[in-house]
Amino acid sequence: MTHAQLRAHPLGDSAVTIVFGVERTSELLGRIHSAARSVEAARIPHVQDIVPAYLALTVFYDSLHTSYDEMAAILIETCQRQTRVIGKAPLPTEHRIPVRYDGVDLEWVSSSTSLSVEEVIARHTARLYTVDLLGFVPGFAYLSELDPSLQLPRRAQPRPRVAAGSVAIAGAQTAVYPLDTPGGWHIIGRTNTAMFDPARDPPALLYPGDLVLFERVA
Amino acid sequence: MITITRAPPYLAVQNGGRRRSRNSGVPPGGARDPFALEAANAVVGNSLDAAGLEWALGGGSVRFERDCAIAIGGATARATLSGRVVAPCTTTYARVGDEFSIDQIITGRFLYLACNGGIDVPQLLGSRSTYLPGRFGGYQGRLVKSGDALPLSEQKSEPPAEGFHCAADLMPRYDSGTVHATRGTQEELFDESAWLTLSESEYRVSAASDRTGYKLEGPALSNRSGTLPSEAGCPGAIQVTGDGLPIALMADAPTVGGYPKIAVVSEADLPILAQRRPGETVRFVLIPIDQSQRALKRRASDLDAIKLLATRSARG
Repeated sequence: MTHAQLRAHPLGDSAVTIVFGVERTSELLGRIHSAARSVEAARIPHVQDIVPAYLALTVFYDSLHTSYDEMAAILIETCQRQTRVIGKAPLPTEHRIPVRYDGVDLEWVSSSTSLSVEEVIARHTARLYTVDLLGFVPGFAYLSELDPSLQLPRRAQPRPRVAAGSVAIAGAQTAVYPLDTPGGWHIIGRTNTAMFDPARDPPALLYPGDLVLFERVA
Repeated sequence: MITITRAPPYLAVQNGGRRRSRNSGVPPGGARDPFALEAANAVVGNSLDAAGLEWALGGGSVRFERDCAIAIGGATARATLSGRVVAPCTTTYARVGDEFSIDQIITGRFLYLACNGGIDVPQLLGSRSTYLPGRFGGYQGRLVKSGDALPLSEQKSEPPAEGFHCAADLMPRYDSGTVHATRGTQEELFDESAWLTLSESEYRVSAASDRTGYKLEGPALSNRSGTLPSEAGCPGAIQVTGDGLPIALMADAPTVGGYPKIAVVSEADLPILAQRRPGETVRFVLIPIDQSQRALKRRASDLDAIKLLATRSARG
């Protein structure tokens, strides 16, 4: 793998987006996650925020004290150095999240997939998910990859309110709603684990690249 | 302490945004016109980052329960303090029992009221700003209502003399409607015609505009993709939706999104865009990133100049 392809773009005055590739794959996402951890570990002066995503890593910085050109050069170098040394970045955290499988859409998911409710639950708890990225609302972590037999399009009409703690699925992903928000995913269960707390630092429980296992509780 | 005797439809505690929690999905938030709040803070002798009131959509009034230097900035309005006219960005002394009133906002969208000491609400994730979708920050995570009593912090420095004001040439050109922008992260998805359209057309701020984004009405911008895998955005990013119409992201926009970004508004000019009302127009002028970053540094040094003059006035 050659890394000369890393390309930097300004995202406004105070961010650099480093593009790692053009096709969304779990391998590429893994590289971006470990690059994010390396940039964090490098403690580059003036860096404020590091946001990994599917094809690119975006780093926000204090542009009153450095320039785009300077920041882009340091980041490209850090990302290239990191990707040459596999496994150098710190390891991701593994989380276990207890879930009561009694969601309003569980029956519907069961009938749409022609799987029994027990089988839906078994397949949802059988996988170790990766946190792809956070977004939508604070603390909302997109987890991949859902068992192919459970992959359903999201609801045509989103619900105006989904309760915090709802465990839901849509497409190839699963997630826990961290706050009461509108939502279009299928709700299969709920958890008491606080996914987001603004009084905590960091406020979100999950970080991109972390691993998540759901555990069934009565 | 200040008591809200008659709240306008929108009144929220804001200061600078949350700059270190995007990786938890927390948008930066904060004052939509940060320059106006910072200038008003400088004029009352506050640190630029003190919390103030962001005021919009109509009139209202506030009563002071202690002597306090105040200043307003941003949108222009008919503002009075117990009957006396309050001029923009001018140090004005309120006494116990004085009532500050806004009759009507005349130009712009967001008016900022800074009080010496700043509004004393808890700092969460590095900011005192209200984030309404998450119901946290600011005053109890919600809009300020009639009857609320907001504590003020002790004043840490002597405010300038009554009547001190910041020079008009240090303020953004709110009336120009010209907004500078740099090319976005998906520039290769847009062809020359889209660039020409963006830089040669007038766009009208739609009524569908809120703290997450301003929809812009005007010629459509063609691009070679519908949506992309999500990546980080930022306030000022101009993303193009499926129908080709641009949306300028604002302070509370989600941290990531999948629409291609054709350009990003220069931070120095974000106040100009933020203050445009529905129906008003903007024109975008594309500039290189180094020019945009220089403009932001100039904006910061303008604020430092106001702060320095205010400090001198306090000593004199």
